[in-house]
Amino acid sequence: MGLLTPTTWDLTGRVTANAPVSSGLLRLDVELPRSVTFEPGQFAMLNLTGAGQLVFRRPFSILASDGRTMSFLYRVVGRGTERLADLEPGEAVDCLAPLGKPFAAPDAATPPVVILAGGVGLPPLHAWLSRHGRPGDLACFGGRDGGDVPWSLLSDEWRVSVDRDVDIPAGRQAHHGLVTELALSELERDGDPGPRLVMACGPTPLLRAAAMLARDRDWPCLVSLEEHMGCGYGVCKGCVVPVRLDGPGDSGWRNANSCTEGPVFDAADLDWERFGAHHATGGAA
Amino acid sequence: MKHPHWWTLDVEAPFTIGPRELPGRVWTASGCFAYGLTGHDIAAQDIDSPYAGIGAVVTKTVTPQPRPGNPMPRLVEMPVGAINSIGLENVGFEAFIAETLPALAELAVPTVVSLAATRPEEFGSMVAELHAAGRDMPTWHGVELNLSCPNVAEGGHDFGSSPETVAACVAAARSHLPDRALIAKLTPNVARVAPLAAAAAEAGCDAIAAINTVVGLDVDLKTGRPVLPRRFGGFSGAGIRPIALAKVDEIVREVGIPVVGIGGIDTAEDALKFFALGCVAIQVGTAQMRDPFAAARIVQDLRRAES
Ligand SMILES: Cc1cc2nc3c(=O)[nH]c(=O)nc-3n(C[C@H](O)[C@H](O)[C@H](O)COP(=O)(O)OP(=O)(O)OC[C@H]3O[C@@H](n4cnc5c(N)ncnc54)[C@H](O)[C@@H]3O)c2cc1C
Ligand SMILES: Cc1cc2nc3c(=O)[nH]c(=O)nc-3n(C[C@H](O)[C@H](O)[C@H](O)COP(=O)(O)O)c2cc1C
Ligand code: FES
Repeated sequence: MGLLTPTTWDLTGRVTANAPVSSGLLRLDVELPRSVTFEPGQFAMLNLTGAGQLVFRRPFSILASDGRTMSFLYRVVGRGTERLADLEPGEAVDCLAPLGKPFAAPDAATPPVVILAGGVGLPPLHAWLSRHGRPGDLACFGGRDGGDVPWSLLSDEWRVSVDRDVDIPAGRQAHHGLVTELALSELERDGDPGPRLVMACGPTPLLRAAAMLARDRDWPCLVSLEEHMGCGYGVCKGCVVPVRLDGPGDSGWRNANSCTEGPVFDAADLDWERFGAHHATGGAA
Repeated sequence: MKHPHWWTLDVEAPFTIGPRELPGRVWTASGCFAYGLTGHDIAAQDIDSPYAGIGAVVTKTVTPQPRPGNPMPRLVEMPVGAINSIGLENVGFEAFIAETLPALAELAVPTVVSLAATRPEEFGSMVAELHAAGRDMPTWHGVELNLSCPNVAEGGHDFGSSPETVAACVAAARSHLPDRALIAKLTPNVARVAPLAAAAAEAGCDAIAAINTVVGLDVDLKTGRPVLPRRFGGFSGAGIRPIALAKVDEIVREVGIPVVGIGGIDTAEDALKFFALGCVAIQVGTAQMRDPFAAARIVQDLRRAES
């Protein structure tokens, strides 16, 4: 097994900012003892220190890394994210990063990209667009409502959709409906858009819709999965997702570690029928 | 950490377990550090590597056939540990010998290969093949027989909960393992563990490792159903440390052979409690999943204790 990623650092940093950027999303900035490079799509395993320490760290996609500061965007959903939200500037955070396979950088053969980001699925795709975006790429963000959308992070190149058409700030626009519908209406406005690469991160229904949209058009599609994790660095098998076996006509499947073989997967490699039954029912852990 | 007056061991001095020496007494536990190999090159500012000072990596358990493991979710976090239901997912013995073992030979740290099976003869034939393949591998230290995994239990009790079964498995493995260490890892899910330890020692193993996970279950109040699809899992981490210490104490007082302590060890203080009871070495499981440097940091802190 060779080295697949930049060196992963296990560091204790200090919170420099931890504040809401929308009604549901918070941005966390952590100053680390050294600068750490990452590729968009990679994630960090975060934990509190001392009495607040969790048995397992929690995975969060890296939004940005600027000098020694690494930034995250998160939503409070349970014990760990509640504790994260209570952190004050100056408090310590354990950070193991970067981890996982990124969204690849484009090359000359990469078609224009369609980005579909839902909620806390924004960070990896925001990072990708900032670093690798090219003219002709289309970036779409889906939020719950206008209040949930982190407008300050979304430059004008981002198109926005909302489930509920309320609290849209003056001067901004949002499509009422699914983010995949928004993307299609933008793409097909001037007729056949030609081949695209779809890149998606967000709730499982969004990922399924993105994969379907791409499959129907024979477009390649990359999805970033937010599977439950234990270690985040490939040693426990607590994060597996079913992928198809390679052989032509092969109906078999195997488990892949989403922390080391993912979290970004080619949608065509995933066994969607087996994937994520536990996510539909709200899961556990 | 303060150095207790009774503490005299050097956890990085070579010591013997089975026919060969190992370089240290703090190991990583089976299933919590894969095969010591991940896709990542992991570094920290204040410590050389995740392997610094550690005595051995015990591999994820390997079974005769590949196993896909249990459905997700496989882990439930508790305030004091976790319940896991990985289901012994592994590539199977054949692929392990062909692909994983050669990669393990490249690791600087010694490896103990964990094996599980459902019949003594399977243990015997796996050990024979492993011996043929690993004979020339200097860092292959020996075998840990996983006689205890509750996740794959049939009929509600662990495979290794009868002294007869333990003895038969140890004897079958021993006959094919003349020159490497043979360690029997026991279940804690029995009223008394001493009879199991006595049976293992009698059948010829070099050391006992204990404990494996404690059978546990959690309920999802949203659904009113067990959180894990398989209902039960194996409870590990800080919450099982008192159980582990009690079982280890029972074993140490029963058998004369070395005992390797496992269960809820996260700090040097935790490790010292097992050493205080007479363990010759300890293993770090759940803590290693949170922190790739857990075992190495325990060594570092125990080293500080000595100076
Ligand atoms: C690679 C990756 C990147 C992620 N990036 C982000 C991010 O940038 N921002 C963000 O807010 N969140 C992100 N997540 C999800 C985040 O890790 C979980 O929300 C967090 O672990 C929940 O911890 P908790 O203790 O608050 O919740 P818990 O109490 O552990 O769980 C609360 C609820 O969340 C569910 N849950 C917990 N963990 C996961 C998970 N990994 N996947 C799906 N459901 C889960 C549980 O089933 C439960 O319903 C990411 C996950 C992964 C795997
Ligand atoms: C995720 C996970 C996977 C495990 N897999 C194995 C295994 O394959 N074989 C085995 O003998 N023990 C396995 N164990 C048990 C540990 O090796 C150890 O005995 C137990 O977790 C108690 O130690 P701890 O409290 O330090 O984790 C596993 C434990 C966990 C948490
Ligand atoms: S989270 Fe442990 S292997 Fe992926």
